[in-house]
Amino acid sequence: MSDIIERLEHILVDSTIKARGTSVAKRHRRNPTKPSAKWIAPARIGNEVGVALAVVLGTIGCSHARGDSGGCTMCSYLLDGDERSPTTDELLQQFDDAHSELANEAAPLSIKIYTSGSFFDTTEIPADVRTKILTQIAKDERIQEVVIESRPEYVTPELMRETRDILGSRGIELGIGLESSNDAVRSICINKGFNLSSFKDSVAIAREYDIGVRAYVLLKPPFLTERDALLDAIKTIEDAAKLGVSTISMNPINIQKYTLVERLWRKEQYSPPWLWTVLSVLRDAREKVGRSVNILCDPVAAGKARGAHNCGSCDESITSAIREFSIYQDISVFDSLDCDCMRRWHHVLNHEDISLLIHSRSRRS
Amino acid sequence: MTEFLIGRGHDGPARVGVYRMGSTKVQTPFLVGSPNTESIIGYATLGRNDSPAGGPMILAVPSPIHDSKSFISGAREDDSILLPSFPAVSFLGPEAAELMLESQLRFINEIQGGVDPSRLIVRIPRQLTPEKLTSMLAKFSSLGVRAASVLLDGWLGPRDYSALSNRTVLPIDWLAIALGRISPSSVPFLFYLGFDVFDLGYANESASRGVRLWNLSEESITGEILPRTCSCTACAEHSDLRELDREKLHAVLRDHNLNIYQSVLSESIQSLRLGRLRWLVESMVHSSTAATSLLRKTNKSLFAFLEEFTPTSGRTNLSLIGPESYDSPTVKRFRDCLASRYTPSKRKKLVLLLPCSARKPYSESKSHKRFINAIDRAIGAARSSVAETILTSPLGVIPRELERLYPAAYYDIPVTGDWDTEETEIAADALVTHLQKFAKSAEVVAHVSGGYLDVVKRAEDRVSQRIVYTIDQHSPSSFDSLQSLQNVLKDMREIFSLKGGPPALFEDTLRATADYQFGPGAGEALVPDGAKLGGKLYRMVVCRVDKEQTCAFIGERGSLSLTLEGGRRLIPLQRYWVRFEGRKLEGGSIFAVGINEADSGIRPGDEVIVLNNQDELIAVGRSEMSGREMCDFKKGQAVSVRHKVT
Ligand code: SF4
Ligand SMILES: [Zn+2]
Ligand SMILES: [Zn+2]
Repeated sequence: MSDIIERLEHILVDSTIKARGTSVAKRHRRNPTKPSAKWIAPARIGNEVGVALAVVLGTIGCSHARGDSGGCTMCSYLLDGDERSPTTDELLQQFDDAHSELANEAAPLSIKIYTSGSFFDTTEIPADVRTKILTQIAKDERIQEVVIESRPEYVTPELMRETRDILGSRGIELGIGLESSNDAVRSICINKGFNLSSFKDSVAIAREYDIGVRAYVLLKPPFLTERDALLDAIKTIEDAAKLGVSTISMNPINIQKYTLVERLWRKEQYSPPWLWTVLSVLRDAREKVGRSVNILCDPVAAGKARGAHNCGSCDESITSAIREFSIYQDISVFDSLDCDCMRRWHHVLNHEDISLLIHSRSRRS
Repeated sequence: MTEFLIGRGHDGPARVGVYRMGSTKVQTPFLVGSPNTESIIGYATLGRNDSPAGGPMILAVPSPIHDSKSFISGAREDDSILLPSFPAVSFLGPEAAELMLESQLRFINEIQGGVDPSRLIVRIPRQLTPEKLTSMLAKFSSLGVRAASVLLDGWLGPRDYSALSNRTVLPIDWLAIALGRISPSSVPFLFYLGFDVFDLGYANESASRGVRLWNLSEESITGEILPRTCSCTACAEHSDLRELDREKLHAVLRDHNLNIYQSVLSESIQSLRLGRLRWLVESMVHSSTAATSLLRKTNKSLFAFLEEFTPTSGRTNLSLIGPESYDSPTVKRFRDCLASRYTPSKRKKLVLLLPCSARKPYSESKSHKRFINAIDRAIGAARSSVAETILTSPLGVIPRELERLYPAAYYDIPVTGDWDTEETEIAADALVTHLQKFAKSAEVVAHVSGGYLDVVKRAEDRVSQRIVYTIDQHSPSSFDSLQSLQNVLKDMREIFSLKGGPPALFEDTLRATADYQFGPGAGEALVPDGAKLGGKLYRMVVCRVDKEQTCAFIGERGSLSLTLEGGRRLIPLQRYWVRFEGRKLEGGSIFAVGINEADSGIRPGDEVIVLNNQDELIAVGRSEMSGREMCDFKKGQAVSVRHKVT
């Protein structure tokens, strides 16, 4: 079977490249001294509730998506980036700009550094920029927790040691997009470009330096039925926990521009997950995974056509229950939720599995 | 062992049969859904739903992302198994689609020994060319697979069309399963196209949305409007469904929807038995514009497939209700055969164009009796030199000699006198082709008005003969018109110096019928010069050559029955032959198992000749299936023998 999967993978790479079309070449010039995005929000930090800053640095974008491998089927983060790599100074200015958001906040603080790619990829963030940013964080005593994102291939003992050395005793978490613990799903549904063993290696390396791993788990890659997707997400969360990750962030797909997923969706060959599926994954996974691992979920575009959604009338209450769950890790927040559309969801779970019909929800309401 | 046996009876590619799942015999066509009950064959996914229980089921193996083999042990001996595949993958193109079939082949090899391949069902992806798909399916066939499923999304657009067209390339003795979204109104259509199994998913989906399904429409029970009255077992005791609680309403809707599917399926089966399935399909596609377009597209693009399995004879009246009928297999085949097989007798010097009549055969209608009367008065016995040609929609033109033939004598159209452009075009084309068969010097007399006149005018430019119009505005059977017809014919008798002779209607009829039925040359072979013809056209006309009967014209169906002598005379034409694998026949029927070769032009209902393995004629009879089916089927009656060599 593996040769068939390999051939399918080749086709998939071509299709993801085609889906990007000219979007990569036509990326907007953006102000290189401002980050692509930044926001602050209350968050659980250790056992307290504090404030978390998230910053998305505008870089040249993810190498995996920039190159011939086409990038992941659902991701267009690349479009947040710039066609030219910002200079060292510009990148530092971007970070300063975001950091200033925390000026009036009190400890405990948390900071999450995203790059639309990998923080440890030197083609995105040159080594001197990296150390300067980390050093700047190290100087801010209020910051007790740092989250950094990277693909596993950049996670080396040297970099982990460097990071640990600079940040001292702070909590450090490395966000890695595992997406699925099933190699077939990761390759032929997502085109992720690495296998489970490299993820395992990264977790082990990070742990040596007391760096935790935040595993991103994707809910409902294309070419899976709703039930395949549901079961795969639960299994992935369990597997990730067994591998020793510190946190799990479960991400239901949202349909991003110029991606293969978007093309499939337009042709009714893909439908974003139901919120019932999200809820059901969280509930099952929470019961199966030890309490030391938090399971987080903040569904992007929830309730909208491009995000995880239900019938429209129950979406809001379910989404807020999911957010509440992420904070308290308590599945009883889901207990009272109910809606007529649950029956339809049950139908989809069963029928899609047997028929392989994509139960698209864009036309028939 | 799982087996699909196709039973007797045909209406287009539709068929009835038995799907034997172990010791359970399931009549096809049938419905699949969940849960598994007495009346519904259940389906489920292995390893995901409860373990299968009750009667045999159809079980899906989950996605190839798993080690799919491990699931197989969950199936029981008699369950059929849907092979694993990915949803939506054919979106990635033909290469990916091909991989989906390859991975299923691989799966079969991996489980070999564990599962009898006759239990397996291939999932057919879209995007492959018919040639590619055919060659891939041959591999499955050689492994022993005998069933396939295609996926319909229910929008009846290009994707569904490609699913239908994939259906047409399946080996003809395979069980064909339609999965996906299938509304009740599509059931007759899909059955007509040769599907044997229908997914009930949409019944469930609709119930879960609070929707009650009807044959042609859908009713949402959540609205302001008072629900319809329904006396089905599910709804009867509830006067207003809106008063039910959610649980109860859902249960009622599910049961009601199931009832609708069962009733529409049984209607389809009955229609097949009555030879009215095509009519049912045409009536029901009007439920939506998408369905109508899909049928029209199917008529055009899948014509060869539809035609191959459409019987050439019938007794029931053919209601040709709308434009979907214009290119229906029976109708278009008639036009095509007439164009390619009919040759007018050399005697014909004049072509007389007449309007059709509601009563069939035409010559028994009031109007045609008047026309014939006028002809007799004007030219008497010289009538034999007149090619009486009836214009009609949508069959085009019908020579008097073939007016008793199926479907010419068996169709009904809504007669309003108005012809739409398509009808006019069809008839004009047929007329042009028809007139090409006559000498340039022949004269065409058009005794027509209204839409018929438009047809002639439309054709005129492309016709090499001169056309004389007898009337313009009046009804052709009015006194004045008939008078004018007589006058024109009298003139023609002068001009062409038409002479009387022996009446030729029998000879013309039998020869034309023989040519139509068996192709060019058959008329001369069966009814050579000097043949003795006797009887009544409306009952039977027997043809004898040297005292030996060759055939008989049966008035009721307007076609010829062969004798053994007639059969012998047809051998050199090399058409309509069936080769029986043996020397001599026992019994009155020939079964498909005894046939490996047959003329692929044979259709159900054709008169055929049966040769033995030494090329000697051993019988004549009526085909019960098409030539390809006789060769490919292992069971079933292929020919009903009329006469055999003893
Ligand atoms: S998901 Fe991550 S690895 Fe994949 S293309 Fe996007 S940024 Fe790159
Ligand atoms: Zn809802
Ligand atoms: Zn009812």
